[in-house]
Amino acid sequence: MPWVLIVAATLILPVVLPPFRLNLLGRFLSLGIVALGIDLIWGFTGLLSLGQGIFFAIGGYAIGMYLQLDSLEPGQLPEFFGLYGVKELPSFWQPFTSPLFTFLAIWVIPALVAGVLGFLVFRNRIKGVYFSILTQAALLVFFNFFNGQQKLINGTNGLKTDTARIFGELVGSDAMQRWLFWVTVLLVVAAWFLCRWLTSGRFGDALVAIRDDEPRLRFTGYNPTAYKTVVFAVAGAMAGVSGALYTVQSGIVSPQFMAVPFSIEMVIWVAVGGRGTLIGAILGAVLINYAKSLVSEALPETWLFIQGGLFLLVVTALPDGLVGWWRQGGPRQLQAMVGWPPVVPTYPALDLDPAVQAEAAELTPPPAQRAES
Amino acid sequence: MSAPPSTGVRPLLELRSVSVSFDGFWALNDLNLQLAPGELRAVIGPNGAGKTTFLDVITGKVKPTKGDVFFRGQSLVGTPEHKIARLGIGRKFQTPRVYQNLTPRRNLELAVAKRNGPIELLFGALESKDRDKVQQLLAVVGLEAHAHLPAGGLSHGQKQWLEIAMLVAQDPDLLLVDEPVAGLTDEETHRTADLLKQLSGDHTVLVIEHDMEFIRDLDSQVTVLHEGHVLCEGRMDQVQNDPKVIEVYLGNESDDEASA
Repeated sequence: MPWVLIVAATLILPVVLPPFRLNLLGRFLSLGIVALGIDLIWGFTGLLSLGQGIFFAIGGYAIGMYLQLDSLEPGQLPEFFGLYGVKELPSFWQPFTSPLFTFLAIWVIPALVAGVLGFLVFRNRIKGVYFSILTQAALLVFFNFFNGQQKLINGTNGLKTDTARIFGELVGSDAMQRWLFWVTVLLVVAAWFLCRWLTSGRFGDALVAIRDDEPRLRFTGYNPTAYKTVVFAVAGAMAGVSGALYTVQSGIVSPQFMAVPFSIEMVIWVAVGGRGTLIGAILGAVLINYAKSLVSEALPETWLFIQGGLFLLVVTALPDGLVGWWRQGGPRQLQAMVGWPPVVPTYPALDLDPAVQAEAAELTPPPAQRAES
Repeated sequence: MSAPPSTGVRPLLELRSVSVSFDGFWALNDLNLQLAPGELRAVIGPNGAGKTTFLDVITGKVKPTKGDVFFRGQSLVGTPEHKIARLGIGRKFQTPRVYQNLTPRRNLELAVAKRNGPIELLFGALESKDRDKVQQLLAVVGLEAHAHLPAGGLSHGQKQWLEIAMLVAQDPDLLLVDEPVAGLTDEETHRTADLLKQLSGDHTVLVIEHDMEFIRDLDSQVTVLHEGHVLCEGRMDQVQNDPKVIEVYLGNESDDEASA
């Protein structure tokens, strides 16, 4: 049933929504993928990373560089190089003329960076708040580096992609954006399946065990470093894919993708949607960002207060986020709180349970006697 | 420094003059101990005698400041915890440490898996003999009815038993059991003693406990620790009549009352 809805929505929405709204939805859905990655490492494994922006931006830059090069005539250089007197394409740009390389780079490079960074950190048993601070510091390092490299990647200005062409079509055109929306939906669903596969089996059990009691798992003969490195690399890859999709739908990739507040916002999406519930991460990313754009259009100054309030509400009242609250019977409690308690269906169900009936038959005297009493 | 050869058999575990210092406080002080394969050994001692540190040293959580630990003749010092565990040393913690958010069945499935790298867990299925073992252990500890509910909801005694079951599932050669009967009823205590006795023989079992009735139930060799070293070793009735032990336990009458 939910699948029917998703398919229907993906087919109908591009027709119903104006291109601007559809583009927004596509962008926010692509953010759902990075949120899924955060849910994987934070919600399931207990690693609160404040540096997912690194991997998000790497994915964005990979596709950005490809699009810059792809729309050039032979012998031309991307325009911005002229501003800084660069005459020759820097060598690390070369492979990005290949679509295949770019396709791999979008997720393999972030995964490798995350894997190496993660391995070094996890091997030294850095965890908890120290891990969070370290990831944020790494984020700042990357942010400053990308900001300063005008001659390599156009520094602060970033790379524009909406005027680039792919398959002879402008990336910013409505038709192309509709395709990108569908690609995003597909990849979000694929990412969800990947995460579900990772978390539902014994591997997922090990992740939860690391979150809940890592030393215990070690004494059982498991090496948590391996697990954490793998899962951090997977989250990095997802962030890269998310960044690439976001870039082509927003038209630009810039070091702002690595701004500190943005990576913290990603964590807030997951917290509001529901840590440890995969669908919650996607919902959180889409809902909060949609709310953000709607509120910002109406009352530009108030969004930050609303976002802060939401976070406080989740931390104090809904520790498992919206989805967790829903699953734990939140709506029924709310209904009861406003003086309209829902009818409890438990007792008849209990009476009809064959196991309970069998037990009751054993305990109660034969029917004839029961009729008298 | 050679420890006295107790038997002709090579010891499974041997601690040679192990000392551990925490900022100048010697939690273990020149501790020597040998365990023969298949032995059941009880370790007792007043609070602060270094019992838990002693387990920490064997399992690699704490590195000895001096001395060496040998398992089957191989030194364990500097080996990471998970590798020590893979060598065949399992540990049950003082307070039951089960994975609260996983069901008892999944707790046991994690413990039973011998091939436990990320790849194996993702792509490999649990072997059917392991699955049978999990099922059997669930039955032994009486948690079949709770097998599908998060372990966090179990009672204290059930968690203790689940953790013992996890240890058995891990199937180590050496079981280190830290206070297995704390908070259990007399009946459960008795059953735990039976279980540990059954396990010894095939496995080597080292039990740390405060409960003297339980130790007597085990009917095994007893080692008394005091201030980080071995005070004496022997059968329970021998140990009980040892003047040194009596002094340590009863020397300060009021203290003993308070801890009892």
